[in-house]
Amino acid sequence: MLKTLIEAFALISTWEVIIAMFAASVYGLVIGSLPGLSATMATALLVPVTFYLSPIAAIATIVAASSMAIFSGDIPGALLRIPGTPASAAYADEAYAMTRKGQAELALGAGVWFSAVGGIAGVLSLMILAPPLAEIALSFSTFEYFWLALLGLMCATLVARSSPVKAIAGMFLGLLVSCIGIENPGGVPRFTFGLTDLFGGIEPIPALVGVFAVAQVMRAMLTPEPPPLPRRKFGSIMAGQWMLTKKYHWQMTRGNIVGIIIGVLPGAGADMAAWVSYAMSKRFSKEPEKFGTGHVEGLVEAGASNNASIASGWVPSLLFGIPGDTIAAIAIGVLYMKGLNPGPTLFTEKASSMYAIYLMFIIANILMIPLGIAMIRVAAYILLAPRSGIMPIIMLCCAVGSFAIGNNMFGVVTVAAFGVIGYVMEANGYPVAAMVLGIVMGTMVEQAFVTSLIKSDGSILPFFERPVAAILAAMAIGALLWPVMVWVWRKVKPVRTGVAATSR
Amino acid sequence: MRLPDSVTGSFLVVLGTAAAYGGWLLPPVPGQPVGPNVFPLVIGIGLALCGLAIVFGIGHTFEEEEVLIPLDGQTAAAPPPQGKLYGLRALLPPALLLFYVVAADRLGFIITAAIMVYVTSTALGAKWKLALPLAALAPFAIHLIFGKLLRVPLPAGLLPTPW
Repeated sequence: MLKTLIEAFALISTWEVIIAMFAASVYGLVIGSLPGLSATMATALLVPVTFYLSPIAAIATIVAASSMAIFSGDIPGALLRIPGTPASAAYADEAYAMTRKGQAELALGAGVWFSAVGGIAGVLSLMILAPPLAEIALSFSTFEYFWLALLGLMCATLVARSSPVKAIAGMFLGLLVSCIGIENPGGVPRFTFGLTDLFGGIEPIPALVGVFAVAQVMRAMLTPEPPPLPRRKFGSIMAGQWMLTKKYHWQMTRGNIVGIIIGVLPGAGADMAAWVSYAMSKRFSKEPEKFGTGHVEGLVEAGASNNASIASGWVPSLLFGIPGDTIAAIAIGVLYMKGLNPGPTLFTEKASSMYAIYLMFIIANILMIPLGIAMIRVAAYILLAPRSGIMPIIMLCCAVGSFAIGNNMFGVVTVAAFGVIGYVMEANGYPVAAMVLGIVMGTMVEQAFVTSLIKSDGSILPFFERPVAAILAAMAIGALLWPVMVWVWRKVKPVRTGVAATSR
Repeated sequence: MRLPDSVTGSFLVVLGTAAAYGGWLLPPVPGQPVGPNVFPLVIGIGLALCGLAIVFGIGHTFEEEEVLIPLDGQTAAAPPPQGKLYGLRALLPPALLLFYVVAADRLGFIITAAIMVYVTSTALGAKWKLALPLAALAPFAIHLIFGKLLRVPLPAGLLPTPW
């Protein structure tokens, strides 16, 4: 144990890792603070750069950039009422109300402090949960993997803030995309239409860049530019945070726990965690009437929650290759590329690398406090940058980055195509996150499904025979039927629709 | 680009049916009950069923309409001009990416990138005072990071970089 810990320290205390982490932190803070550029997009655009780094440095950049971006989305939320990332949308109104009351320092300070605390709680959950789960996962056969993957996909459709039917359709679209290519049980070209470029299948990373970055530039073309930030002097940012911690320690803990649970659930990420935690905070608060008028309580809970989900989202990713959220989906791609194939054996064979990941998460969250404070102070200048100056650079990065992934132009075509697909889906209420999970998990689902069917000789029964498989199957089918039950419940009790809608 | 649910739903039905049919046509693996054809078949049928459900409006009650937060303290920006062609502006970014695919090898990275930056920037409302310097400098900066530091073989074309 101690030996692996020392090895892990040695792994991360190289100049490459330190510089990569620092640069990625600054990058994450800047991208996260710009309205319209999300943490997922920041991470996706970082992937081509990680190709040229050592495995640990590559993961360090992703860990640092994603944690920082989730926090720094709070900055324009509090100052402009425009959330920098979707994860800050839940409490942007509240934070802005505080700013108008002259409490911008308190709101932003709470953002930094409780994000860091939440992030560290998330890492602790990763350290505690992952090894015992890995023990259990070692005994999993393809039946369990099939149900687990299906459960992951179903969770992604459940938590989408849209029609569950459209979410499931989005998931099927993603799975269909993953069918393309010759990497299938028969090794025959499938849906390639004779194009050699399609033989290798659609790479998840260009698809992700298209859906999250190009689609965003497309939306920017049609939406008006956000207003510039009024310049202001800030007082002490961390003053009063310790008092808040003591006063709201229970809310903070609850936020951490909710964030961790939502992070572990496949498909649900930081934005969901923030919405749920903010709603919970309001429901259980002693003074719910203060919510919406610039009350810090909800900020504490939701801020602690969304950063906790970032680290715990890595639990299913590292164990099963099932992404906990869209950022983890990108991280999985990088893990495979760097020879750290997700799976339970990762924790025994590459234990030092795992410890290195934990350490980097902790360091990133501690680093968030000084860098975050600096960022808040310079945010007014960064937010001066006009959108017409930033979006062109994003476009160039999309083009060059997607080319760099395979050094061929087909990557650029993929990015453009998925930009259009993502834009159209989003505009019509189809959640893109469900499709992304489908693309990332498609090959795994198919392999587990077909191998299981071959083993069972075409019979369905063995899918339910093993106890763990049966439990997972029940959960997956329950997740599929849940919207139907909610719908029936609403029909039977039309008066209580509001309750049914929020408890979904 | 908000389409009616009946349009997107019908599209999914067609796509799902085509996928299921395409999967059906794939050759099975000899001697095994299942092969590459099963998965597309299942997905295609599922997709078609979802499409049908969407056409009939099932699950529509779950959708939350996106609420636009009005900015107080300042008057909201003038409503964007609504013309038939205005919506097509959204297609500019993918079109520029395709332009990059076609032109980069011939014109070289720097020139193609400069055109992309200039067009995107102007389309987003930048004056030439911002767009021109940006188009002149950004390609070199990106080339420095990706081409020089990360050794991505970016095409040189007509205008090779000095390094």
